[in-house]
Amino acid sequence: MKKKSKNTQLVWYLFLLPSFLGLALFMAYPVMESFRLSFFRSNGTIEKWAGIDNYIYVFKNAGFWQAVRNTFYIGFFQLLISIPLGFIIASIINQMKWFKNFFKVIFFIPYVTSIVAAAMVFLYVLHPDMGLLNTLLSSLGLPTSTWLADSTTARWGVIILSVWHQLGFIIIISLANLQAIPNDIYESSSIDGANRFKQWWFITIPNMTGTFAFFVVMGWIGALKRFSETYILGGLQGSPGRSLYTIVGFIYERGFGGNEFGVASAAAYILFAIILIFTIFNLKISKMNKAN
Amino acid sequence: MKKNGSNKSKKLTIEIIKVVVLFCFGLIMMGPFIWMVSVSFERMANIQPPFPPRLFPKEFSFFNYEIILENGSLLKAYFNSFVVALGSVALNIFSALLAGYAFSKGVFKGKKLLFVIILATMMIPGEITLIPMYMMFNKVGLLNTFYPIIFPSLLFGFGIILTKQYFDKLPNSLREAAQIDGASEVRIFTKIFLPLTGPISATLIILSFMRSWNSFIWPMIVLSDQKLQTVPIYLASFSMEDGTRYAGLTMGLATASILPVIIVFLFLQKYIIQSVALSGLKGE
Repeated sequence: MKKKSKNTQLVWYLFLLPSFLGLALFMAYPVMESFRLSFFRSNGTIEKWAGIDNYIYVFKNAGFWQAVRNTFYIGFFQLLISIPLGFIIASIINQMKWFKNFFKVIFFIPYVTSIVAAAMVFLYVLHPDMGLLNTLLSSLGLPTSTWLADSTTARWGVIILSVWHQLGFIIIISLANLQAIPNDIYESSSIDGANRFKQWWFITIPNMTGTFAFFVVMGWIGALKRFSETYILGGLQGSPGRSLYTIVGFIYERGFGGNEFGVASAAAYILFAIILIFTIFNLKISKMNKAN
Repeated sequence: MKKNGSNKSKKLTIEIIKVVVLFCFGLIMMGPFIWMVSVSFERMANIQPPFPPRLFPKEFSFFNYEIILENGSLLKAYFNSFVVALGSVALNIFSALLAGYAFSKGVFKGKKLLFVIILATMMIPGEITLIPMYMMFNKVGLLNTFYPIIFPSLLFGFGIILTKQYFDKLPNSLREAAQIDGASEVRIFTKIFLPLTGPISATLIILSFMRSWNSFIWPMIVLSDQKLQTVPIYLASFSMEDGTRYAGLTMGLATASILPVIIVFLFLQKYIIQSVALSGLKGE
């Protein structure tokens, strides 16, 4: 009997082996090694103990703080615009009689395309003189912008690209969660005389707080890791004027541009800490909301 | 009776307004793509895109596409992306199905702890692992191959969560009959449960393929050989190289990379949208 149970237990560990092998090699080891590296000056081959010098260097580095400011700026506005906009569009689609699927697909298409390809296209869309966006704005009598050409407006170019690219995800998830709200709540409120808008405001939105929390948590984590689009639009240094320089951009430039592996690892751990704090903070808030 | 009549036309108007509003939004969303295709077929488009932006090219021509096809790099990039995606998807599905099944139906010591560890990995940003993984693969001389991109697919934490949920919904009674017959766990899995994984496997394949196809940063770090570039890397190197960039050619490249994806998406859109929606339904 004892032999049997040992053997049956063993086989389950075999089922887990591939995943945990991957975990050990590609998650656990790199995470620990990155931590170790952050205390050294390293160019990949030669190492020299540096204590917490790397961390001090990063915290004192003006470029790093600019990267932090840019990352937060872009992330904040991108979420501020895309979450409400996506939710409103999803609400409209949810209540439509015709073309429901058509619009679902139309709004989702940008999300499945590569952000690199999208950035390529937006390099032209955001062109100050000949771009699609400014032409559209001026034809509507709205003010145009220098977008990527100027360091004061470049981040908004990224924000627009980001909102455009992510909107489909927010719409689809919102739709799925909207449809999960049971109908009887709406029916009983109808009997009480509530109109469509009141229903939306007092029933739909409160029922979506979990979804919104999900968007905010996931959105911030994604925003803190932003790099691909700013790299295509702004290059290694986040031009113009380092306005598109992000935290991961800093890590990449130091690590793979300048071979300063120790500094890059320290910055990566600082990023990790920021993400962790954000996630815990957000989880606590959503737990509080749930309790209410 | 009067009230009913005016209500009906009011409702109809509101419906029409909704369609119009969404259509305008939709046009704005699709605008960049439509313009992209238009510019790519423009013979007149040189360094600057044609101004003012127009829907139909002044002089329609396949010129840009001829250049792209002749060059052949994009096709090679497609092939590379495909090979990488195939490998990544295969490893993803393989390990996620096995692990999800174990966490769902298995009874063994440390099950809860191990599952929590899997959950924890989802909170760790990949960016931390970039440098050590680079150094590790460099040491074993695997840089500039596809292996560093495919191997890490062994760990698919999100996939494990999805498969565990899926297997949880399959009744344990399926196991009991086979257990009485004395079948081994592996047999039970392969003969009974695995054949039932159609839907979740499809979802995993879609999510995994999308992630692999569009992945950029890590492949860019790993691959330096031009012949091994995947599509995003090729696009990036084209976009960022010095020298004059021709609008028509750039848009042509962008179209050639995006249009096939959109076409595949349109064919599978029901499943793709479903899969993505599934990933967001379970919040925590």
